[in-house]
Amino acid sequence: MPEIVLPDEARRATEFLNRADIVIGIPSYNNARTIGHVVRAAYAGLAKYFPQWNGIVINSDGGSTDGTRDAVLSARVEDSHLMLLTTPVVAAHRLSVPYHGIPGKGSAFRLIFQLARNLGAKACAVVDSDLRSITPEWIDLLLRPVMFAGYDFVAPYYHRHKYDGTITNSIVYPLTRALYGLRVRQPIGGEFGMSARLVERYLQREDWETDVARYGIDIWMTTIAIAEGFRVCQSFLGAKLHDAKDPGSDLSAMLQQVVGSVFLLMQEYENVWEQTGATAPAELFGFRYDVGLDPVQVNVDRMIQTFVRSAGDLREIWTAAMDPVTMSGVNELARQAEAGARHFHMDDELWARIVLDFACAYKRSPVSRGLILKSLTALYIARVASFVIETETMVASEVEERIEKLCMQFEELRPYLRQRWNNPNPLQGGLEHAGHSEQSVAGRG
Amino acid sequence: MLDILSKVWQDAGDRLQYHVTTYLPSLLAALTLILSFYVAAVLARWVLHKIFKGLTIDKFLRQSGVAYMIDRSGRLRASRLVAEAAYWSLLLSGLLMGLSVFNTDLTTHMIEGFVFLLPKLIVAGLIVLAGAWLSQYLGRGFLVWAVNEDLPMPRRLAAVVRVLIMFVAIVVAAEHLQFARNVFFAAFVIVVGGAVLTAAIAVAIAAGGGLRRMLDDRRLHSEERGERSLWSHL
Repeated sequence: MPEIVLPDEARRATEFLNRADIVIGIPSYNNARTIGHVVRAAYAGLAKYFPQWNGIVINSDGGSTDGTRDAVLSARVEDSHLMLLTTPVVAAHRLSVPYHGIPGKGSAFRLIFQLARNLGAKACAVVDSDLRSITPEWIDLLLRPVMFAGYDFVAPYYHRHKYDGTITNSIVYPLTRALYGLRVRQPIGGEFGMSARLVERYLQREDWETDVARYGIDIWMTTIAIAEGFRVCQSFLGAKLHDAKDPGSDLSAMLQQVVGSVFLLMQEYENVWEQTGATAPAELFGFRYDVGLDPVQVNVDRMIQTFVRSAGDLREIWTAAMDPVTMSGVNELARQAEAGARHFHMDDELWARIVLDFACAYKRSPVSRGLILKSLTALYIARVASFVIETETMVASEVEERIEKLCMQFEELRPYLRQRWNNPNPLQGGLEHAGHSEQSVAGRG
Repeated sequence: MLDILSKVWQDAGDRLQYHVTTYLPSLLAALTLILSFYVAAVLARWVLHKIFKGLTIDKFLRQSGVAYMIDRSGRLRASRLVAEAAYWSLLLSGLLMGLSVFNTDLTTHMIEGFVFLLPKLIVAGLIVLAGAWLSQYLGRGFLVWAVNEDLPMPRRLAAVVRVLIMFVAIVVAAEHLQFARNVFFAAFVIVVGGAVLTAAIAVAIAAGGGLRRMLDDRRLHSEERGERSLWSHL
């Protein structure tokens, strides 16, 4: 099992503490503005809901230069004021350590998991450091199913704005659900609870140096938990409000890392998803209520323009990656958009086929994987634009129904995926399918 | 007069007889050799094709992604490539063996020259092939990057990348063959120097506009914060 070398201060701290029952991990990079609030919420959660257990809050930092680690260590928690307690509770420990290796959330998690194992933790929760809506109850909701109900993995369930979480809604959720049969609504939510058994399994893995080290970590954790038969549930956390990420962050790189991890795991768990039948919802804990959400504004025209331009420039790459029938649907859509079609619409079948074709192309061309994933960006943008236009006047429940429809489409196309997965020649695959869906895919755009 | 004519006829006949007796056996031997090698080449091509088909090499290469790396259209088969290479190698060997039968200065010189040049030709060919593949690969990578970065004329920029890489490969191959070294080297210096000069001028011209756009962008950032947040929410 490949182990990382612990930083000196982490090693000294674990030797001093010796053991902890609960570990709460917070990965960070330049989050001084918000991390204090997250640490206080974690502290309060431990004190309020798990006072009888030894807890530790670990911040795994990627070399922040804005004083994030100072903010962690100096966050003040007044237990008695916070929770109206008359008897003082034992304060949880806190630790802020820099991680080494590939910069990214996954590397930060790896250090947290390693420390959790060294401390003999029974349960571990991870929360993002840019959260504005986290409350102490989140800690309870993420850990209680593990501590008291025998679950191994607790995924978050939030209310999000209809245009928020578009990678989740348009790719990761429908695909994960169709592949592995369990409906986990926020598979890349960012906040998770885990059992010691599952943490141990994560640490045994040898693919930490891939996209998992970066944004791929969330889907990697969720997929392993589902595909390897760990007990998985969801906890309703309310609304997810968080700071905007670095404006300069590269969408294409994010998409590549997340979707790349999904596609890579598809290869590993091929024997699992080939057996998948009907899907089932993951158990949901917590009291559900409606909340107000931050609005998300989208420039649809710019997105459609980007798609039209890309359709001309990337035709060669898309043609190599996709089935000819799918490609003809994309071409038709681009033609309509270019001609100024009033209602730009990418239908569910076309989008699902695009994603599945890219998964197959990713499998058959190890050398060009990065290229294939990056070329998906423009198609994803087109799908988001179409989704935004279609759901413009819809309320949250209607949007959820719309996403459910997309999920059903992915599930219906499982035979198509199986056929193309084992028949990597795009020309053969296309000809075999041309008969039944050429008209339907191209005609609806 | 008749004596002279008869002597000319006699000399011509002798010369013909000499040529026939000297070269005909060699020619027949050469033709036999070439024919034998041709038959062997056809046979080798057929056998290799069958063996590779039986071993399902094409399937393995396709599934491992190597075939897709070499030829994205999926039409090229490794079995066919190897079989054709064996066929042409045997045919070429037959031709050289046939020439060697004549044992003249000219044929010996031709064969020696070819044998001496062959390894260099093969290496140069491999360099050009590698350059062609690399230019395609990096060109596509650049194209996708340029499209995602919303750069103007991404296809043309990618084409420039492809041409530059291909040009470097050709210069290296020519250098290896010691063929028109100075010409290619001079062209290389001119192209690279020209590219650097063009880039410098472009940067200088764009600096003013870029600075202005950057300042405008900063002002617009706050207005577009909501729009950007689409990408920041995973």
